[in-house]
Amino acid sequence: MCGFDSLVIFVYYLTLPLKFVLFYRSLLAFFATMAEAFSSSSETVIRRSINVEVKANTSGEKLEEFYDIKETCEFIREHNFDKVALQFPDELLVDSVAVAQEIERNSHAKTFILGDTSYGSCCVDEVAAEHVGASCIVHYGSACLSPSNRLPVLYIFEKRPLDVELCASSFRELYPDTQTHVILLCDVNYNHAIDGLLALLSPEYPNLAVSELVVGGGQCFIHGRKQMDKTCPSEPENSLVISQFGRRFSLKCGTAVTDYRMFYVGLEGATLRNFMMTWNRCSFCSFDPVSLKGRTESINVNRALMKRYYAIERAKDANVVGILVGTLGVVDYLSIIQQLKETIHRAGKKSYMFLMGKLNVPKLANFMEIDIFVLIACPENSLLDSSEFYKPIVTPFEMEVACNKKREWSGEYVTDFRHLLPGGGSHVPLADQQEDVDDETDVSLITGALRSQNLMNSEPVESSFGSSVVLRNQTLTVANADSAASFLAGRSWRGLEPALGDAPVVKVVEGRKGIAIAYEDEGTS
Amino acid sequence: MYFFPSKLVLYPQVNFTVDQIRAIMDKKANIRNMSVIAHVDHGKSTLTDSLVSKAGIIASARAGETRFTDTRKDEQERCITIKSTAISMYYELSENDLAFIKQSKDGSGFLINLIDSPGHVDFSSEVTAALRVTDGALVVVDCVSGVCVQTETVLRQAICERIKPVLMMNKMDRALLELQLEPEDLYQTFQRIVESVNVIISTYGEDENGPMGNIMVDPVIGTVGFGSGLHGWAFTLKQFAEMYAAKFAAKGNTQMTPVERCKKVEDMMKKLWGDRYYDTENGKFVKSAIGADGKKYSRTFCALILDPIFKVFDAIMNFKKEETAKLIQKLDIKLDADDKTKEGKPLLKAVMRRWLPAGEALLQMITIHLPSPVTAQKYRCELLYEGPGDDEAAMGIKNCDPKAPLMMYISKMVPTSDKGRFYAFGRVFSGSVSTGLKVRIMGPNFVPGKKEDLYLKPIQRTILMMGRYVEPIEDVPCGNIVGLVGVDQYLVKTGTITTFEQAHNMRVMKFSVSPVVRVAVEAKNPADLPKLVEGLKRLSKSDPMVQCIIEESGEHIVAGAGELHLEICLKDLEEDHACIPIKKSDPVVSYRETVSAESSLMCLSKSPNKHNRLFMKARPFEEGLAEDMEKGEVTHRQEMKARARYLADKYEWDVGEARKIWCFGPDGNGPNLLVDVTKGVQYLNEIKDSVVAGFQWAAKEGVLCEENMRAIRFDIHDVTLHTDAIHRGGGQIIPTARRVLYACQLTAEPRIMEPVYLVEIQCPETAMGGIYGVLTRRRGHVFEESRVMGTPMYVIKAYLPVMESFGFTADLRSNTGGQAFPQCVFDHWQILSGNPLEATSRPGVVVMETRKRKGLKEGVPALDNYLDKL
Repeated sequence: MCGFDSLVIFVYYLTLPLKFVLFYRSLLAFFATMAEAFSSSSETVIRRSINVEVKANTSGEKLEEFYDIKETCEFIREHNFDKVALQFPDELLVDSVAVAQEIERNSHAKTFILGDTSYGSCCVDEVAAEHVGASCIVHYGSACLSPSNRLPVLYIFEKRPLDVELCASSFRELYPDTQTHVILLCDVNYNHAIDGLLALLSPEYPNLAVSELVVGGGQCFIHGRKQMDKTCPSEPENSLVISQFGRRFSLKCGTAVTDYRMFYVGLEGATLRNFMMTWNRCSFCSFDPVSLKGRTESINVNRALMKRYYAIERAKDANVVGILVGTLGVVDYLSIIQQLKETIHRAGKKSYMFLMGKLNVPKLANFMEIDIFVLIACPENSLLDSSEFYKPIVTPFEMEVACNKKREWSGEYVTDFRHLLPGGGSHVPLADQQEDVDDETDVSLITGALRSQNLMNSEPVESSFGSSVVLRNQTLTVANADSAASFLAGRSWRGLEPALGDAPVVKVVEGRKGIAIAYEDEGTS
Repeated sequence: MYFFPSKLVLYPQVNFTVDQIRAIMDKKANIRNMSVIAHVDHGKSTLTDSLVSKAGIIASARAGETRFTDTRKDEQERCITIKSTAISMYYELSENDLAFIKQSKDGSGFLINLIDSPGHVDFSSEVTAALRVTDGALVVVDCVSGVCVQTETVLRQAICERIKPVLMMNKMDRALLELQLEPEDLYQTFQRIVESVNVIISTYGEDENGPMGNIMVDPVIGTVGFGSGLHGWAFTLKQFAEMYAAKFAAKGNTQMTPVERCKKVEDMMKKLWGDRYYDTENGKFVKSAIGADGKKYSRTFCALILDPIFKVFDAIMNFKKEETAKLIQKLDIKLDADDKTKEGKPLLKAVMRRWLPAGEALLQMITIHLPSPVTAQKYRCELLYEGPGDDEAAMGIKNCDPKAPLMMYISKMVPTSDKGRFYAFGRVFSGSVSTGLKVRIMGPNFVPGKKEDLYLKPIQRTILMMGRYVEPIEDVPCGNIVGLVGVDQYLVKTGTITTFEQAHNMRVMKFSVSPVVRVAVEAKNPADLPKLVEGLKRLSKSDPMVQCIIEESGEHIVAGAGELHLEICLKDLEEDHACIPIKKSDPVVSYRETVSAESSLMCLSKSPNKHNRLFMKARPFEEGLAEDMEKGEVTHRQEMKARARYLADKYEWDVGEARKIWCFGPDGNGPNLLVDVTKGVQYLNEIKDSVVAGFQWAAKEGVLCEENMRAIRFDIHDVTLHTDAIHRGGGQIIPTARRVLYACQLTAEPRIMEPVYLVEIQCPETAMGGIYGVLTRRRGHVFEESRVMGTPMYVIKAYLPVMESFGFTADLRSNTGGQAFPQCVFDHWQILSGNPLEATSRPGVVVMETRKRKGLKEGVPALDNYLDKL
């Protein structure tokens, strides 16, 4: 299935002079979805391109500036790392070889290019790095800044150009009132310019707060700024500091986040969506550095929340839940899996765990008996639009709302699963086992059918007569049927049909030739 | 439970204790469960009042102090009934009258459980729920407007449920006072109404040899009443036959046994209707209108029945005092002192009410002609029960046996004062139900032998439901209507309650209206979302018809039968169920996606791994097949060969293909088919489940704007599969099946279907121009226009797209000076002409708007997203 596709890629890369390791574990998935958008004739298949915006190679002198090679080498030398894994997102792969060569020349460390990540390219792929025994990772490009703790990580962001003047003027347009409380957020790739913007705006806007990038986990570094000083001396003692998603900002005392408006510098995408869902009471404006336009974000957050609430209702309907492990890097992912398993079990549902790399439609549709999937991933990758998928995919938070009776929907939305864990800001302990004996029923507004919360223990023990012989109860025996078994029973095809003697024995005949996408006898039209 | 206080009269209360009521309940042959059904404004509630005023209401002791019925405020304001209202009455027949009863009887006291139902089409579901628990129906027809669309709808439903009808011609006062009809014209009007009612009965009912026998209404046997609910008088031929029988008999013998007397009266009734004439001079009945000597005789009905009534009307309304006094004396009417001082209309009312009391005539008609549970359940059992006709439950229902296992049907939920909780209202068909009894509660999805939709729970309380009051009662035997406490949370809207372990479900009710008008609701504050959802759940429980759905787009949809229905539902939602501020969208219509030709090419889609190919084509259904599926003529549950034969006979399907229908969709039962027309494909069975899953998915969300598909047949022509099972798993097949189905749909000239109302409008001739104008502007078209005989009124029947019906009523009123009142009832789906793939066409706009509302990508996806090349 995968041999051919990956072969093509290997051929392409092997022509390069450098030895490196490529992990193509899941590029295939990517191809599968791509293929739908293409008409696929046999000639084009070899030359099929990947739908990635490939930039032209960055020229030699720019390379140094763009990828902070000098600083990287200093970092490597300082910590005496001998094997360094360089993780590039797809769109920066063109430069990977040049960067790796540069680093090798300047630091004497051995470099490995992680060309493809198991999950989102925003997350640090520690597992891939450990495959080559790397002692540190340099992560290039966009990042979700989720904390990880296996290996030291150095984040190097792209320095995308930002017209600070224009940005400042559109800020002034959007917030004519200079007293407005505004928090300045930005995409990591524009972080280099944020100080310049702040310098322009802060004299006019006294209530402007800026978010700075902070990475949790002891061994993460962001270039340009040294390992974070834990305390910023300029902050007054009693102000409220909020740090989330690798951003940290402090609010004036006496104010809450809801009193602020958010101004985001960057392209629209997962990052902005994540912010908007999390701070869904705040109004958002954004500045697009490419089109150079500032605008009020008109996406109806209420509508988005309702859409997620639909997912919660689906989760309530589900009997069998698939837990998709979508990250192996974000700390505490094992704890959340454990907690989810427990929550799901308590709600009378069954759970199975899946580890399948990048997600795609065919992979998930292979498991027809699963009613709903819950994806454990970094906050930016959690919010997945699952309308193309056969069964919906929800976030751990949504699963919790659906299964944990004590958790109430308040309009608050948590994308970061770590907040759901004990000690996290939104942790709600499960109800005691004793408390939920009463089987409450509930009508599903999706199927229109009744659903009962505790199917598992709804049958009371019938031996109250003190008799040792209990009548074999028809409903009782059926009620204990395994959900997987009952699913199988509902299928029309349950396995190989032993049609012995019915199938005539035929001699071996010549089969088709060619590759699956177009066999030879099918022509090449 | 509710009706108008404006129409409320003070009833002579007969107070019974619960024990007394309980005793009457055991006499199952003397129970009459009946509903009052009619078109809106034909006077059901008024007529019900006159019944209640005659019979003793079985009420609690408290009922005397406070007003008996609680009313919904909106019912008063709008002057229409919204919820059906149950009232129990006690009536005693004289020994003479008992002889008329042809079915078994048990003493002279009768328990009548009457359900007054709403007449507006939007609330037809309430009628359906009422009909299920009753055995007889009093069909009320306004003799001026005649049989209207809603009369037909509800009567048809009654007949299909094997409910025996009796007819009441109401508003005779209007015919006499306003229209000033001659007796012969009035007779002709009556005759026509009886005929049109019988046409409906014979169209939808079984013939005379059916299990119910002859159920046609016939004045001669006394199943037709005439009168005025407003004035409180009514009669059947029996009343006059008794009068005349006594008069004619007085000449001869004096004492008759009840049976002899009954025979005499029945003979007399035969003479009082139809082409029988009366020779007034000689006091003789003759058979032809013109005598041997060329003398004209008038019809017996006119001469002996209408004539006296006309005389009374004439004398009183024209203030002929002496004549009035003479008539009063002749008719032996005893007036109260204060009545004697009246004149004109009030006097007329008083006189007529004394002479021909409506309650008396109607209650006699009901007790004599409507079936008792014992009679009715014998023939209703096979329609009511899904299980085999000879198991314990079926036998219990057939014999109305209180000792058999309990079988009870819950037909609706009635809100209690306790928020979010409901009484389950229904009828015991077999056995008896008691407080604390442990029962099996089975929802509509229950299948015998499975645990789905089944709960084993004790009944917390059984109660008698009397208007606002409920009275606990120890137990209730079969044949009675009862409320249950504590089972509501195990049922969605309806269900079966039984103690019999092998019991099957009682058949679910079929509604005559569909929820085609939808509104999206939104909580103003997102934190209130759970409250909104909770409210929607309650709302969907409290109304038999309303649908509350959360759509994938996140929209919370409330769907109802019409604008009025939705308005009431939303008000209830906001004020009673959710109690939070709500934003409502404008009403929208749900559409269906269909095709109008066979796919122009053989569609191929390859699986993501390219190893599997599906070749399929789509084509539209033959005319009428989709409707047959909705009517249940062709269903997924049907035996395969019987279905194939039906399709082959009626729609000329190839029998071989018809036997290879893989499934119906969406939801496994919708009006689309997936047919296997392949020949000798290996491993085909193995991918069936996956293809079916893809089909259900695609049929639910069509390619145009993710609306349900309708009337599309998909043929699987060929399949090539990878030989290794691992490469043809669900993951490869499901998305591929969906893609190829979309490709089929796009290549088969896709179309959008919209729901269409049948509109009936009554109006005077002068308003017709305005009506035509409004209808034309709203894409409606008139298909029938007829004059109501004997009146200046016209009836216009037209088809009107539901999409265009919003604000139609108001528009019509303003264009006709308030003279036209429409009744809209969903009739059929109709293709919206034009190509939905062209953005500027009408269906194209519909597709665009629907996609926008659902938050989908703009524009229908192009074919090459779904179609692969070889």
